[in-house]
Amino acid sequence: MRPGTRLRLVLRDLGSGSAFASMAVSGQLPTWTLALYGVALVCALAGRRLFATRAKLTALLLLAVAGVLGMNVLAGSVNLVVAACAFAGLIAAHRLLSAPDPATDGQVQLSGLLMVAGGAALSGEIIYGLFLVAFGVLSSLSLALGVVEAAVPEGEPVPVRQVMRPLAVGVGFAVAGAVAFFILFPRLNWNMMGPRVSPGLGAATTGFSNTVRLGGAGTIKGNPRIVLRASLSPDPGNALLDAYWVGRTYDIFDGQEWTSVSGVRSASQRVVTLRPGGESLVHQRVELLPAYGGRTLVALETPSKLGNAVANTPMGSRRVALQELGGGEVRFQEPSLGYTYEAYSLPPGGSGHEFRDLPSDEQDALLTLPEGLDVRVGQTAARVLNGEREPLAAARKLADWLQQGHAYTLELSGDVADPLADFLFERKAGHCEHFATALTLMLRTQGIRARLATGFFGGERVDGSYIVRAGDAHAWTHVLVPGRGFVTVDATPPAHRASQSSQVLQQLLSFYEALEARWRSAIVDYSFRDQMDVARSLVRPPRKRGDPDAPPSRMPPLRAWGAALLAGLGAYAAWRLLSRFLERERPHEATRFVDAVEAQLASARIDRREDESLEELDARLTREHHPLSPALVPVTRRYLEARFGGRPLRQGEAEQLLGTLKRAIAAEARRTAAESREPRARAS
Amino acid sequence: MNQPARVLSPVPSPASARSAMERIATQLGRAVQGKETQTQLVVTCLVAGGHVLLEDVPGVGKTTLAEALARTCGLSFARVQFTADLMPADILGAQVFHAQSATFQFRPGPLFRQLVLADELNRAPPRTQSALLEAMAQGQVSLDGSTHALPAPFTVVATQNPVDLSGTYPLPDSQLDRFMVRMSLGHPAPEVEARLLATRGGSPPLEGVETVSGPEEVASLRSLASELKLDATVSEYVVRLATATRQHGDIERGASTRAVLALGAASRAQALWEARDFVTPGDVRAVLVPCWAHRVLLRSAVQGVTARDEAAHLLEEISRKVPAPR
Repeated sequence: MRPGTRLRLVLRDLGSGSAFASMAVSGQLPTWTLALYGVALVCALAGRRLFATRAKLTALLLLAVAGVLGMNVLAGSVNLVVAACAFAGLIAAHRLLSAPDPATDGQVQLSGLLMVAGGAALSGEIIYGLFLVAFGVLSSLSLALGVVEAAVPEGEPVPVRQVMRPLAVGVGFAVAGAVAFFILFPRLNWNMMGPRVSPGLGAATTGFSNTVRLGGAGTIKGNPRIVLRASLSPDPGNALLDAYWVGRTYDIFDGQEWTSVSGVRSASQRVVTLRPGGESLVHQRVELLPAYGGRTLVALETPSKLGNAVANTPMGSRRVALQELGGGEVRFQEPSLGYTYEAYSLPPGGSGHEFRDLPSDEQDALLTLPEGLDVRVGQTAARVLNGEREPLAAARKLADWLQQGHAYTLELSGDVADPLADFLFERKAGHCEHFATALTLMLRTQGIRARLATGFFGGERVDGSYIVRAGDAHAWTHVLVPGRGFVTVDATPPAHRASQSSQVLQQLLSFYEALEARWRSAIVDYSFRDQMDVARSLVRPPRKRGDPDAPPSRMPPLRAWGAALLAGLGAYAAWRLLSRFLERERPHEATRFVDAVEAQLASARIDRREDESLEELDARLTREHHPLSPALVPVTRRYLEARFGGRPLRQGEAEQLLGTLKRAIAAEARRTAAESREPRARAS
Repeated sequence: MNQPARVLSPVPSPASARSAMERIATQLGRAVQGKETQTQLVVTCLVAGGHVLLEDVPGVGKTTLAEALARTCGLSFARVQFTADLMPADILGAQVFHAQSATFQFRPGPLFRQLVLADELNRAPPRTQSALLEAMAQGQVSLDGSTHALPAPFTVVATQNPVDLSGTYPLPDSQLDRFMVRMSLGHPAPEVEARLLATRGGSPPLEGVETVSGPEEVASLRSLASELKLDATVSEYVVRLATATRQHGDIERGASTRAVLALGAASRAQALWEARDFVTPGDVRAVLVPCWAHRVLLRSAVQGVTARDEAAHLLEEISRKVPAPR
């Protein structure tokens, strides 16, 4: 194999790998397809084309794989789009392992295109963009090398080094040109079916289960992934939100875990009203990201109304119905990677006259204690409260006591028989669930109704909206205050309520998120309107800071001058190129004809000097009585007449002459072949 | 073939021109055997209206060729042997006092022929050589204030011995530039020489040469050749070739404008060999070396035959490098 060929195949395979990676980053492909493709790619890069022989037999493997994928689709475990993408990847893998001939090369590139298209359907995120560019560059280089290789005669080395440099420059220009084209020219939005979701960095990390179990390590607190993004109205404007996002609540504790009276509370509907709202509701527009991973809606405490839910799937966005369950939980009816919805919450300070509406069995549930509760819990509570009976004051007192006497830790190893007693009296350290459970149960021992609430705490302001991270997951206590309803009391030390991930990791992720957001707004959702905005922002006069009353400047801003200069330079360069192109001598019609003639002569393998013109060749062949000469003479004569004699070729004459020549060449080739077949013995 | 010079139509076709030229060349080939290329070139030069410079060692048929040309074309012929003491008047002619009319009358010299063989041109002193200049350039002779036209078609075939240079006056460049082509015959091939020995014996070489043309036909061929179409791209090509000789590192002085014109004319005549009424780049390349090899001045100090060879080599290199229009 020639060195250029090896390089070309490696580039081709890497391009295919990039295309596959553009699908794989969506995280939706079945793991076994990733493994199969990975193995195939490694084998191909190592030069082991396992399927080079018995191509048809190995194609049966693909058929089997298609069957497996089809069954998965039928069983509903795999999305049809995902299955199609996975199959495209496996076709590419099969082609990678086949013998590298021109047809295979074409198929590899074609399957690469398919995979890139699949990647666009599965995810539109920034990593996809990188792989798309990588695929474009690698495949272009490979294709171009293929063209060069075909042009170099057999047995001669391919001038890889000389070719690669201009190729790289050319590809660089092509990428730059594509970006310029992308920005400058009107185009359709990629995202024609509403905002898309991309699971990005892997599977979901949070979620709401039907139970909360004490014990176990609180690894989630260290996870900086963003699970929801919300814009609030009225906008508090704080950099950090000091607020609780409630998902669901729990009533019953059995000593190990919390559960609630579950069951469907209402039929599926578009809007769920949990409690009547007042005048000043806080409106939230929430986007749940794939890292969220649950079907439970969260809203700022205390939610009043939830609705207008839309599920964002790879196939597009569609409305979904909601359903109210026990524990104040509202769920989406359909699973999806991400959702958007709207919520209205009561302003902080209470949930109105909820107590009256609460059924009696639920009221009783708020006082139940687990069997075998350590007696010290009640004793300690009584001692700490010291006669305080007002629920809110009592709860605050207990919370203070807990915060002072107990440390916050995420490192809890091993299961213990009574996690609550362990937290309160032995270890005296725990995380939010321990603090919230302890407070809730201590209140109950004193006859004060309380329950456990879970959700998120906090929110960072990013670009005018608030983000909540997986590490912000939190648990706290709802105290039922007669006349006010449930009031939130948090026993967890304030410093440990929000995300506990490392600052560096958080910053890195924020940076990635910002990039991702830029990618979405500038690439995926970038539209004609955005192009207009870019153009308008260039010429909009600058606004004077600090003096809003100052009259706007009449002069265009500096950036407008800069853009005009750049545009002028671009136009000048384009004009220069264009004029050079127009001034370039057009090939004479007869010259094109002679090119065709010479191509045919080359196919006839006639020996020819390097600088020999057709005229000279024709004269020489005539002198040598070459068998092709009679056919070539009229062709040459007509060419010379048309080119230098001012008698242009008639319509269709070129084709006719070429046809005659072609037939003569074919006849000559047949004659030579017959001669070489003729047994020599006959002549002797 | 024993017809007299036939009267051709005033504007012959390229096809009839080719047959006429082939007729002439065939007769020349009888006198100088085995030299088709050279005989064709001589005919080309005749049709192009140029003068021929034959450079060769003695005894290879230079004189024979010139005489055969005159006889074939039915041209009046004179042979002038140039010697060191040859004076201009010896070739141009002189004013002679006519006793009866008591006036001076012009008595034309040997130059007043249609074909003049200037044998061993470089043996004559420069003064005599330059007497030829005007005749060759303008086809006329100015003497004592009066101008005498030379008979048309006027052609000079000059010879010189490039090896024996002692006692010679090398031709000045201005003189060289006036010859359209320079060529050498060279020794004939051994088999041709053997055939000569066997067949001709003592008979004069011109015996079998017949007159197959005439001055009128030569004149009409010339007028036809001068009207052939020279496409703009081809003339550009000629100019590019000239420019290349002027810019070449090994060439002191490249082709002159006269050289460019001569190449154009020779190419036109060359095109008639293919019965074409237009000139192709191939025609230009065919006559490039004989037309220009004696006109370029090399930087190297070589002289004579070697200089010609080197010039021919450089010109071939240039014709390879300058892309021909296609």
